[in-house]
This record gives sequence, structure tokens and C-alpha cells, in this order.
Amino acid sequence: MTVFLRVFILCVSLMFFYFFYLYIEEDKYYPGASFQTSNMPLFELEDLYSDDVITNSDIEGAHLINVWASWCITCRIEHGFLVKLSSQGIPIMGLNYKDARIDAINWITKFGDPYEFIIHDLKGELALDMGVTGAPETFLINNGKIIAHYRGEVNEMIWSDVFSPIIKKENLFNDN
Amino acid sequence: MIIEAAQFLTILATGLFFLCFVFSIFFNVNDVNIIKLISRIYSHSFFLFLSSFLIYVWLAINDNFSVLYIAQHSNTNLPVFYKISSIWSAHEGSMFLWIIFLSLWGAIYNFSVHNNEPLKARTIGVISITTVGFLLFLLLTSNPFETMLPLPPENGADINPVLQDPLLAIHPPTLYLGYVGFVIAFGQAIAFLIEGNSSINWEKQVRFWSIIAWSFLTLGITLGSWWAYYELGWGGYWFWDPVENVALMPWLAATAFIHSLSASSKSSILRIWTILLSILVFSLSLFGAFIVRSGIIDSVHSFANDPERGLYLLAFIGILVMTSLILFSYRFSILISNKRIVSLSKESFISINNIFFGTLIFSTMLGVMYPLIYEFVNDQKISVGAPFYNAIFVPITLLACLFLIFSIESKWQSKLKFAFLNNPLIISFVFSLFITFLSFKFYSVSRAWTLASLFIGSLIISRYILVIYAYIFHRKFVNIYSVLAHLGLGLLIISIALNNDFSSERALNIKINETETYKNHEITFNNLQLTEGPNYESVKADFIIENKNGNKFSLNPEKRKYFVRGQITTETAIHASLLKDIYLTIGDQLDDGSWIVNVQFNYFIRWIWFSATLMIISGLFLARSLNRVHS
Repeated sequence: MTVFLRVFILCVSLMFFYFFYLYIEEDKYYPGASFQTSNMPLFELEDLYSDDVITNSDIEGAHLINVWASWCITCRIEHGFLVKLSSQGIPIMGLNYKDARIDAINWITKFGDPYEFIIHDLKGELALDMGVTGAPETFLINNGKIIAHYRGEVNEMIWSDVFSPIIKKENLFNDN
Repeated sequence: MIIEAAQFLTILATGLFFLCFVFSIFFNVNDVNIIKLISRIYSHSFFLFLSSFLIYVWLAINDNFSVLYIAQHSNTNLPVFYKISSIWSAHEGSMFLWIIFLSLWGAIYNFSVHNNEPLKARTIGVISITTVGFLLFLLLTSNPFETMLPLPPENGADINPVLQDPLLAIHPPTLYLGYVGFVIAFGQAIAFLIEGNSSINWEKQVRFWSIIAWSFLTLGITLGSWWAYYELGWGGYWFWDPVENVALMPWLAATAFIHSLSASSKSSILRIWTILLSILVFSLSLFGAFIVRSGIIDSVHSFANDPERGLYLLAFIGILVMTSLILFSYRFSILISNKRIVSLSKESFISINNIFFGTLIFSTMLGVMYPLIYEFVNDQKISVGAPFYNAIFVPITLLACLFLIFSIESKWQSKLKFAFLNNPLIISFVFSLFITFLSFKFYSVSRAWTLASLFIGSLIISRYILVIYAYIFHRKFVNIYSVLAHLGLGLLIISIALNNDFSSERALNIKINETETYKNHEITFNNLQLTEGPNYESVKADFIIENKNGNKFSLNPEKRKYFVRGQITTETAIHASLLKDIYLTIGDQLDDGSWIVNVQFNYFIRWIWFSATLMIISGLFLARSLNRVHS
């Protein structure tokens, strides 16, 4: 009886830890990541540097959309990786979120510009439609559809674990 | 420069803590000099680590934004109090605080226990290795000392306005103190198992530490519950949020543990229970840390995550718990008592309640894990909510309370004798039946579970009042603090039942200058103001509420929008009275100009926190009374 009890307690706790190990090893443990497909909302917003209006037609094909702001400290940490990505030929559109124009331009001048162009979303209209909760957040869109969404800092690890598999599966960014 | 020094001190402390562990395991701890050496290294190492933390606090106060973490979570405009509390507003800093508390418990234990027994040295060794595990976690995966150079930001970031609340600044530290406080009990239990000498009475000393840790844990949970009530606008005291659940599990285990301790410090009869429970309490505390910090569960509490952290914590906790359990099963034979538990003795009632507590812990764990298992298998998210927990907690708690009532009468290791006439049990039974009948007849309480809870609650209260009566007039010895804590339990059960039965809420659509009537209260929407705070703009509504006696008062719920992040928060307005809270929140404005206003009448909600406070205070005094006896 006591032997049974001992073995039972050990086995149950071992199984318990093993389950959490399996759970963690699955790629589901990124709570910031979501792969629900939805339509890219329609928008008409100003470019950060000029009065040009940017609309959906400017982002045909596959793009990354990165939500950032000059008041966001994590965006600064993320920024270096985005510069690296853009140098590898990944097209990134910036979505400047609830930010003063002058602050945003100063920030970009200081830390470098990885973006093809930057939308100035002062009131967070487009961000609201896309379901943004804060900055930084990054979306992967393909032909007018959002196919991946990550809340939080994108870095080497998030890129290879969250974005790379779906990019490979959908066969995107191959023309470069 | 200074931050590197702080990091260096922490690394040094990690090394010394590890040295403590090595000495306590591989050296002859029967040698008094070795014991003294271990104790000395531990205190030196603690002071190095503490100074590292104090430097960090000083940097935070002085807005040193070259430290990445401080830049991310503090701001020049914050008052000093929030600059300090910003340290534990996110993952890295709160982990830092957690480890400070962990080693602080060890340091206090080290200072205040003067018997130079091997048990003490081994205990410090176990505490040290636990500390080292967490320190490595801190330094390797969540380093708070990381810098942001060159070009540190000038003003820092704006911290989440929801977290800028004095109560929230105190809630995590108290909770952490409770969680890690059980390291003493865990350490002593493991030290006892390593020593393998069944004549050592490790339980006696541990009672004091565990009851204090239990009080802090209860305090932390209560503060969290209160904060969620008035700040988050949830309007209740408990939500079965996964992270509330992972705090509830160690609390349940700790409650069972301190009761078993009182049995096994008198005779070694419940030793298997106490050892197993001491491992369980601490494991569940660590499990809570794992759940919150791995980001497995989405909740208001979870921190931004990194899978490496989850993996590290899982591995560390797994090794710690499995080693303890293997040690436990290896020493199983010395834990078995040759005495049998006498039926209807106090020990028997405590064992029965241990089984009930075990069931509650198991069910809560099931509620936490089921959605994970379901998601793992079916790739769909589901959540387990209040109906599941209520269905299990209500009957089992009431049953456990019934056994508590019988245990009051019973004696250690002898059978309970029923004396039917003039028995306090009969008196309180009749009294509670009478109370239940009255509330059924005159106060329209009709739900069966409410009546049952009322009955059990009054049974506990009246029975313990008779105990106090016997204590005062017949000088019958009893620990008065334990009586007070159980009175708190009785009150808690009654308040929860009545809160559940009477409380109601309604969403009103109301325009300015209109009046609506809800439950004999006239609610007039008087005015709406746009105001501007230091870092937000707000809509402040003015409501006049008139009850049926003609008493009027005004309530001003608010909606704030913070400039920097554009975050919107709801500020509740609460009118508290002895029996009920009137709780108002405003929602959105509709197209026709009316506002959605949520009105809640929360009955007896203050009583819930009052009962918890009673338990906390009695717990602290109980620990103090124990310490006086032993030292």
C-alpha cells in the first residue's frame, strides 16, 4: 500500500510537469500571437512626412505593418531588428500611433528609418479597426488580408518562431 | 557604472548563496563551527543582495533612465512613492522583489533561531538553493540591470494608469511575502527528511513562520480583491480568474498545513500529511509564479512573456519538487507513526478536513488546467467559470465546516464523547436553526444554499461564542486568537452567502436631468462635466440618489482618457454603508444622447473583507502567542 502511494505521488507529479513541458514546447505559448485571418480595414490617412494620402492600394501584396510611437520605449528596443529586417528586403509599413508628428519625425531621424512609408494615425482610427491594443504590434498582411498579428516586441526569436513558419507556408517575400 | 556595481553585488550574492548550499549538504553539519560558518555566509550574502536592491531603488527614485527597466516603467513626473512601486510593476523588477523577500525570510530565520542544530544549517541550505535557482532565473532570462545606452530617454515611459494606485503598490509585496514565506516550512521539512531522524520535532518551530506567512498571503489576496472591486470596476470580490486561482491553491494548502501542524507538533501522528502539505504549499506558490510569468494564461495579471522564462521556471520548479518528493518517498518509513488515529479525535477531524481541502485544491487545479488541456487537444479556447467552482466549493466548504464544529468539542487522541443535555453544541444548533428560520420567514431568504450557509455560519459563530464564554467564566483554556480567526470564517461564510443572495445590478439608459427608479432608490442624472487632470481628460457624471427614507447623496463616477497611451479607465463611484454598497459606473454614450450607467447594489461586501481582516489579525497575534511560548 505504501509503495503504491509513493509511486503514485511521484508519477502524478511527473506527469504534471511533463504536460506543462509539452504545452510550452508547442508554439501556442506565445499569447501575443494570433493567426486569425481577417480583412485589412479600409483607410485613408496622411503620410507622416507630407500631406499625401495613403490608402489600401499602397499596400498590395505581402507587407509587414509595424505599429509604433515615439513615446513607446519597447519600440526603441524593437527598432534595431526592424532596420535589419528591412535591409534584408522585407517591406515594412510603419503605423505611427497616437503620436505628435514632430516627435515621430525626430525619433526616426535619431534611430533610423526601416519603413517604406509611415502612416500618421494620430487618433488611432486605423489602429482601432485593426484591433491594436498598444505599441509595438506587428501585422503580416497578404493581398488585403491580415494573416498574422503579434502583440509586443518582435525580435530574432519571435521572427523565427511566429512569423517565419507562416511566411514559408504562404511562400511570401520570394521575389527579392 | 552604479548599475553594473549593483549587478555585480547580485552575482556575488548568488555565488555565496550557492556556497551555503554546498556547505550544508556536503559538510558535516553536526560540527558547530560549520553551522556558524553557514549562518555567517548566509547573512553576508543577504546583505550584498539587499544592498544591490537598495541601489536599484535609489536609481529608480533618481530617475536613472539609462537602466532599461526603469526607463520602461517609470517617469519623471511620478511621485516618489510610485517611482519605487514601479519597480514591481512588471516582470523583471517584481521578480527581483520576490527574491529579496525569499532571502529576507531566510535572513530573519537565520537571525532569530539560536539553536545551532544541524536542522538549522540544512534549512538554510535549502533556502539558499531555492534562492540561487531564482537568482539565476533573474540574471539569465529577466535581467533588471540591463542598460539602455547611449541616448537614454529623458522622461521615461508613462506607466499604466490602472497600476497607479496606492493599494496596488502594496498588494504585490504582501502577496509575495506570503508566497515565499512558506520557504521556511519547506526548508525545515526537507532538512528533516535529509536528517532522517524521526525524533526531531521540526513542526513546533515551523508553526510560527507558517502562520505569519499565511496571514500575509491572506492579506495579499484580500487587498487584490478589494483593488479589483473599486479600481477595475468589476464590482465583485472574486472572479475565479486563473491567477486568482493560483493564489487560492497555496492558500488552501497553507490553511490545511497550519491545521495539520498543530496536530503533529503535539504528536507525530499526522507527519505524512504535514510533510506532504509543506512541499505542496511551496510547490503551489512556485507553480503560481510559473503560470503568471510564463504567459501560459491570459489574465490581468500576466506579464509580457518570453518562452525561455517559462521553460527555465518549469525545469527549476520541476527539479525542486521532484527531488523533494523522491526524498519524501525515500524517507517514508520514518514518517509513519506507530500510533493509530483514534476515531472521533481531533486528529481524525483534521485528517478529514485535509481530504476536503485536498479536493478543493484538486478541483481548482482542474479548473485551471482543463482549458489548457482542451486547447492542447482540440485547438480551441474555452474557459472554466464561476458555476463550476461554485458547484464544488459551496458543498465541500460547508461539509468541512460541519466537521470543524465537531472538532471543537473533541480532544487530541481521544474519542469525542457526546453529552446530550446542556451541551453547547445543542445550544448553538438550536440557535442557528432559529436564525435560519427567521431569515427564511422575515427576510425572504429562500435559496437552499444560502439557508444552508447561513445555518453553518451561525453554527460556527455561536459555537465559538460559547467557547469564549467558557474561557471567560469557567477558565477553560483555549487559544483566543484561533477562536477569533474561526469567528472570521463563520462571518465570511454568512457574508458571502448573503452577498450572493441579495446583490443585484442593472444597466440603465439615462439622459441628463432624467430620473430612474431602481429598488426603491431614485437615481437622478444631475450633471455631466468635462474636466482635465494632470495627464488625462475625463468625463465626470453627477448623480443624486435618494432612498425611500428621503436621504440624499451624490455619486460621481468618471471615465478617464489618458493622454500618452490613449488608455480609457473607469473610475467607479461607491456609496458604502453598513449593509450595502451602491456602486455606479458609467459606460458609453448612445446616439440619442443617453448614457449607459451600471448600478449595482452589493450587499455585505464590506463584511467579506472585514472577516478576512479578522482572520489576518488573529493569525498575526496567534503567531506572536506561539513565539512567546517557545522562546
